[in-house]
Amino acid sequence: MSEGGAMRDQWYPVGMTKQLTAQGRDTMLMGEPIRVALAGGAPSVTDGTGRALPVIDRFGHVWTSLGQPEKDLFTIPEVDQPGRRLVDVGVCRVRCSPLRAVENFLDIAHFPFVHTDILGSEPHTEVARYEVEIRDDVDEVWATKVKFFQPQAAKSAEGGITTDYMYRVCAPTCSVLYKTCPPKPGEWDVIALFVQPLTETLCDVWPYMALYDDDAEMTDLIHFQQMIFVQDRSVLENQLPALLPLDPGREIPTRADMTSIAYRRWLKRHGFTYGAQLVAA
Amino acid sequence: MGMMGAACSDPCASAPTPDTGDTVPTDWTPAALSDDIPVASAAPGQLGPHDLAIWRSASGRIAAWADRCPHRGMRLSHGFVRGERLSCIYHGWGYGEGGQCVRIPAHPELTPPEAIRVPVFSVAEASGVIWVAEEAPDGPPPEFPGVVAFRSLQVSAAPEALAAALGGTGTVIETVLGGAQVVALIQPLRGGAAGLHLLAPEGSDPAALDALSAEVEALRRRVEAAEEMTA
Amino acid sequence: MTREEFTIEGALGTPLFLPWVERHAARLGVGMRLRDSAPERLAVEFEGAPALLDAMEMGCLLGPIDAWVESIVRKRISAT
Repeated sequence: MSEGGAMRDQWYPVGMTKQLTAQGRDTMLMGEPIRVALAGGAPSVTDGTGRALPVIDRFGHVWTSLGQPEKDLFTIPEVDQPGRRLVDVGVCRVRCSPLRAVENFLDIAHFPFVHTDILGSEPHTEVARYEVEIRDDVDEVWATKVKFFQPQAAKSAEGGITTDYMYRVCAPTCSVLYKTCPPKPGEWDVIALFVQPLTETLCDVWPYMALYDDDAEMTDLIHFQQMIFVQDRSVLENQLPALLPLDPGREIPTRADMTSIAYRRWLKRHGFTYGAQLVAA
Repeated sequence: MGMMGAACSDPCASAPTPDTGDTVPTDWTPAALSDDIPVASAAPGQLGPHDLAIWRSASGRIAAWADRCPHRGMRLSHGFVRGERLSCIYHGWGYGEGGQCVRIPAHPELTPPEAIRVPVFSVAEASGVIWVAEEAPDGPPPEFPGVVAFRSLQVSAAPEALAAALGGTGTVIETVLGGAQVVALIQPLRGGAAGLHLLAPEGSDPAALDALSAEVEALRRRVEAAEEMTA
Repeated sequence: MTREEFTIEGALGTPLFLPWVERHAARLGVGMRLRDSAPERLAVEFEGAPALLDAMEMGCLLGPIDAWVESIVRKRISAT
């Protein structure tokens, strides 16, 4: 079996659609060189031998696969709701396992320490009980009823509020979070993390947002999110081991890590092990 | 300067032999200079195959721990010091005396059990140098009267090559460098590298220290160039 | 201190699973007593602070790579 196992047949983001050129851009997917280009007005992706790979153009990004995906790429229905601003944040390269990048995105307990006074602050560190399930019908991990106190929940938030979250893992390296939308009570802001696995220990992270925010400048929205990811990067590049352990025998997960555990169980069940470590070390 | 008195007549006896950095020395190994780990700070270090978090509490207590938070593997050397505790920067798990976990912020009501602790290494300070060991050695680390810790450098060359360039062997070398009588402590690092912890004469004037710095940097370039040639 | 019985179900046929659970309990300082053991079902009594029993559940849900834990049902025995 080729490198990547079951993950080879999944979809991955490999670039922003609006940045495509006819000349193309060389990048990597799961250790293999690929080229992403604009051919006849449509995105095209080729591997190192020139073979055309399957392509989907969705959420402002180009998606491809080295294998044969059985399913269509997931959807985010909220993106089509009128009045939302769709934001391609850009790319953030992180020297970590693509799976670790997703796991960190699912984590709230780090907010007071890594995103101090922005997404969290002491002494509001307690993680209240929330719910996690694997939804068999869509084969996704969902965490719901997540609540956390945030001093500045979003660019549009003034002062601290208790923010509600929902998290969704819809592909091995993709997650979508829904959070309280301060200017539009009852609606959710949508922030997605699309991770391109360059190798097992190197990834390009492409955040994407669909927000109800009429006031903020686009560049401010982008800078806010980029700042958050740069803060995360300092953690992600300094975790041991570099690969995500699927055996927590050398870790101490607690109830606050419930989403992380569900994500790892889901990876284990599907044999999604590119970027994972099977034995505790 | 006359600082090489009887008090340090046999420093080599309590210093480890150089190695590839894969085995753990059984005696004290120099890991950092005291001034490089100020009060309420942490920094990464090495001892053989082990990564260390070397940190100093608010009251000045030095400690050397495994550089890995038991929770989810974040390096503790990136952590923050408050009072007598080192906390992980990721989720704020706090560790006190003996590496004992004392606080898990996500679960503030929980008194962490004694079982949750970070592995701790032996540590001692002498002559402005922080020495570490896996098991507590029989005696204290060597003292070097008349000299004070000056600076540390990392050299991309084998410890033996560095020692030879300093005109000696082993890991404690007394020599003259840039016109000054110095003590050079060599720390084996992983990947065929070496740490050089330099002790300079007490009361040296700034010009003398500048000269010493220039000399040791030139020496590092020579050793690294020679190492590259042979590689 | 709380005492609970965990009924762990799944593909637990590996000889590594029970020692893994014992080791994890020791790492958490949680008391453990084996009640019943079968290839697809393990009944274990744990004793410790409630948050540590939660942590025990988190660890066991993943376990060693060659085991698959389908579900864990917890039943409180006593609390002091």
